Amino acid sequence: MTEHNLTLPVNDAQVENLSMGDTVYLTGTVYTARDMAHLEIKRLREKGEPLPVELSGRAIFHAGPVVRKTDKGWELVVIGPTTSIRMEPHAGMTGELGVKLIIGKGGLAKDSREMFQKHKQAYLQAAPGCAVQLAAGVKKVTTAYWPENGMPEAMWVLEVERFGPFIVTMDTWGNSRYDEVKDKAYQRIKQIYG
Amino acid sequence: MGDFKITYEEIFSLVHNMCTGISSDVLEIMNKALVKESNQGAKALLQSMIDNVGQAGKLDKPVCQSPGLPTVYIRFGDQADLGGLSKWLPQAVVECTKKGYIRPSIVHPLTRYNPGDSSGVGIPNFEYQYRPGQEYMEVIMSAKGCGAELANLSTILTPATLGTNYVGLKKLVLETVTKGGGFPCPPSAIGIGIGGQMDISAKLSREAISTRDWRDQHPDPLFASLEKELLENINSLGLGPAGIGGDTTCLAVKIGYAATHTAICPVTINFHCWVARRFGVRFYPDGRREYLFQEAK
Repeated sequence: MTEHNLTLPVNDAQVENLSMGDTVYLTGTVYTARDMAHLEIKRLREKGEPLPVELSGRAIFHAGPVVRKTDKGWELVVIGPTTSIRMEPHAGMTGELGVKLIIGKGGLAKDSREMFQKHKQAYLQAAPGCAVQLAAGVKKVTTAYWPENGMPEAMWVLEVERFGPFIVTMDTWGNSRYDEVKDKAYQRIKQIYG
Repeated sequence: MGDFKITYEEIFSLVHNMCTGISSDVLEIMNKALVKESNQGAKALLQSMIDNVGQAGKLDKPVCQSPGLPTVYIRFGDQADLGGLSKWLPQAVVECTKKGYIRPSIVHPLTRYNPGDSSGVGIPNFEYQYRPGQEYMEVIMSAKGCGAELANLSTILTPATLGTNYVGLKKLVLETVTKGGGFPCPPSAIGIGIGGQMDISAKLSREAISTRDWRDQHPDPLFASLEKELLENINSLGLGPAGIGGDTTCLAVKIGYAATHTAICPVTINFHCWVARRFGVRFYPDGRREYLFQEAK
């Protein structure tokens, strides 16, 4: 298992190089996006309007941070992953936008697996509930888009340095650690209760 | 009438402490799981989780960014001080939100408007329970992450689908845990509500996992043995922390039950993330306090 220190944006070759179980740390700009931010992006695309950020080669973090407003701007208190499966309907869209890495928890399903292969993307699992540790990698909160949707649902632009660790759990070759583990569990249930 | 001597400052302090730590019964189970875990990746994740709790306490930060929907159980006898609690608990939640201990995550269900301070109709969710003859007033508050809620399931079994030796129920629980995979922030715990009607089983499931000590044993031998069997079998599934493999999938199974109608067996399965933020306190009429979910000092 390899440790990768990646600087964003990343290219296809760098994503293809990520194998299941590898550890990843990120440096550069990361965007948070949950349910509402994905819907805002979808709305702009449908209207043919430009997005406020460049997503090509970048990482989207399924997360809603706790931030405090100070005299100097935003201060990040804690940040941790939210359950990614809610974003499954947006698999095709993020692929077409050139997003290379999706960070979250719990993984994504079949449509995303196919899109990961097609658009050269990978999924990174963040340690669930470890919001204090992850916050240490965020150096600056630059800005927020769509703040009217509330703190968790805004798109926060974060400058990060050695942000992680994240574990590669879905790769660009169509593998999903979640599905492997679940398949084994279903077999075990049959063994126990028939 | 006794004098419970409850102040707003005391309520605020309970809510504040709830945000920056997890209850000690759960931390003890996590530490034991860490020793037993055979999968190295899973062990590293468990260690991160335990370290994160320590850092949150030291830095006075919330353990997890996701506060869930605050729920309060108030169990009172013939003497109670409900006025103060009903007013101060929502006020403390709002103040903790403004101070950055709770993320403002409460929105209107349809418009999705977020007032930004964790206020709203029915927030916190108060469950008032009258316990005739109980001398003290018990307050248990729980903030469990809403990622866990995504794996919850309510259904109505019948005598046929419940099956011989409750095998239908047992399979349902294991399949639901497997389907949930990493969504509910495993290692998770599950509350199971059995009986009543649909709403009753749902309430029982939440109450069981939110208010019981995760190390306790059900007083009824039937349910005690069912809880033990399910916990062992869930942990044999290999789902592991974060759902990416390992021995530690479930920290506790707690069942609540009520009698039901002869035609049905309502069942709700309710997930709790490992970040068990809660407080429990018994207020006595003479001003004494007894704290739950923490080690004796």
